[in-house]
Amino acid sequence: MQAHELLDILTRSPADAVKRFAEDLLPRLEPVEVLRNRTGLAMLPFRETAQESSFYLGEILLAEAHVRVAGVEGYAACLGRDLEQALALALIDAAHRAGIAGPAIADFARVQAADLVETDEALMRAVGQTRVDLETF
Amino acid sequence: MAYVAARGGEAAILQSEQLHQLLNAPLSLATVRMIEASLPYLVDRVMGEGSLYAPELAALALAQTGGDLYEAVLLLRAYRSTQPRLAYAEPVTQTELLTVRRISASFKDIPGGQILGPSLDYSHRLLRLDLLDQDNQEHSASAPPAATVSSDAPAGEAPPSYDPSPLAVADWQRSEGLLAAVPEVPPTDPASLPDLTREPADFPAPRAHRLQALARADTGGVLALGYASMRGYGLAHPTVNELRLAYADVRLRHPVTGEAFSIGRVRVSQCEVVNTQATELRLGYTATLGWNEVKCIAGAMLDLEMDAPQPHPAHSEEFVLYHTEPVEASGFCIHYKLPHYVTFQSGLDALREARATAADAPTEPGDAQ
Repeated sequence: MQAHELLDILTRSPADAVKRFAEDLLPRLEPVEVLRNRTGLAMLPFRETAQESSFYLGEILLAEAHVRVAGVEGYAACLGRDLEQALALALIDAAHRAGIAGPAIADFARVQAADLVETDEALMRAVGQTRVDLETF
Repeated sequence: MAYVAARGGEAAILQSEQLHQLLNAPLSLATVRMIEASLPYLVDRVMGEGSLYAPELAALALAQTGGDLYEAVLLLRAYRSTQPRLAYAEPVTQTELLTVRRISASFKDIPGGQILGPSLDYSHRLLRLDLLDQDNQEHSASAPPAATVSSDAPAGEAPPSYDPSPLAVADWQRSEGLLAAVPEVPPTDPASLPDLTREPADFPAPRAHRLQALARADTGGVLALGYASMRGYGLAHPTVNELRLAYADVRLRHPVTGEAFSIGRVRVSQCEVVNTQATELRLGYTATLGWNEVKCIAGAMLDLEMDAPQPHPAHSEEFVLYHTEPVEASGFCIHYKLPHYVTFQSGLDALREARATAADAPTEPGDAQ
């Protein structure tokens, strides 16, 4: 699993589960150097469909963390202002790229990914049910 | 204008603030969570106009202000100003949206189909008084059963296939030659777009400024001006080409690997309107953070109006963008509550002097008629 795929999954996973997993991982990662852990904004550019130009839709509040574990830097950000969630994600990112606890991380990500896929599929099935043939109106 | 400094009255000001809190529900974490979970469209509106996607903070702002929208938007904008800008996300394109509602009033048979999604458009607008009656009769602490949505197809039917990223109606129209082709635009540096939060609007505004201003505009203001256009003060009489509610992934570049990853999804809405009165179809467009159909439809109509060679004065770009900025407009409005004693006294003095001058003036023959 690529590092960005792991983050794609875990940033949308329940924060409590991610924090618990990182907590369990922590003894294998010490010493951890936290380079940055803060809240801030990301500007979101949007491509319009009328003239295909881009503009800023607005800003997104995020929490980010940048850590160093076993000489490998890890980074992550998540929506909102939960600094612990960002830190947990960054630790998992660093561990994954440092080759620490690889199978455990992969298993955890697989479980979370399955939940996310199930949620998305249920939503899309529900949305699909609202497809309407306007001839019948 | 002239003002006088307000001095003293600290006790009264503190009491006034406490009275405001007393007359609202107690501010608690549970209230904030309840607002965030049960009033998502209101939260979306505050985030859109606050130009900051932070559902938890928008809910807090609503709880803290007793639901005063302009105060809530101001709180969110004020909070935003305390935060550093850490990154520019990757540009969101329509093909990447997870679309949950997508309808067109121009064509019945659009590629991908008409998807009503979450909507009350075709529902009876009737108050559910039975809920109140149940509460009054039973004084039950238990919540009414939550509504459920079936994600299963009716028995005997195959589940409907649904593409969450259907082709844009405009792209289909371009492929059919109904809309002029758009020149190929090279990839844009996400950090290089004109930004209203960093530079003031100048007119005529770059399109990026116009669309950013509409995205953060006051819903009521956009609706009022858009409605004036719809009622006949405008020059365009468009229909909704496509209205879309969706989730968009916010993708950042990993500072170590350089690869883009998603930090989560946000709710977005966008609308295109199409005008058939010119020699070729023309599109108007607006999008915003959160799900807000009225603002997107009215804004898209104003986008068309602002492009007219001689728009109605209330639909000129400068008029629309200046007068739909919610924090500036509401702030200017409520500043009139501040002491204007010197201004008013000056006007009163001028009035008295004018009256005295008029009284002292010799009467001309014929004035007595």
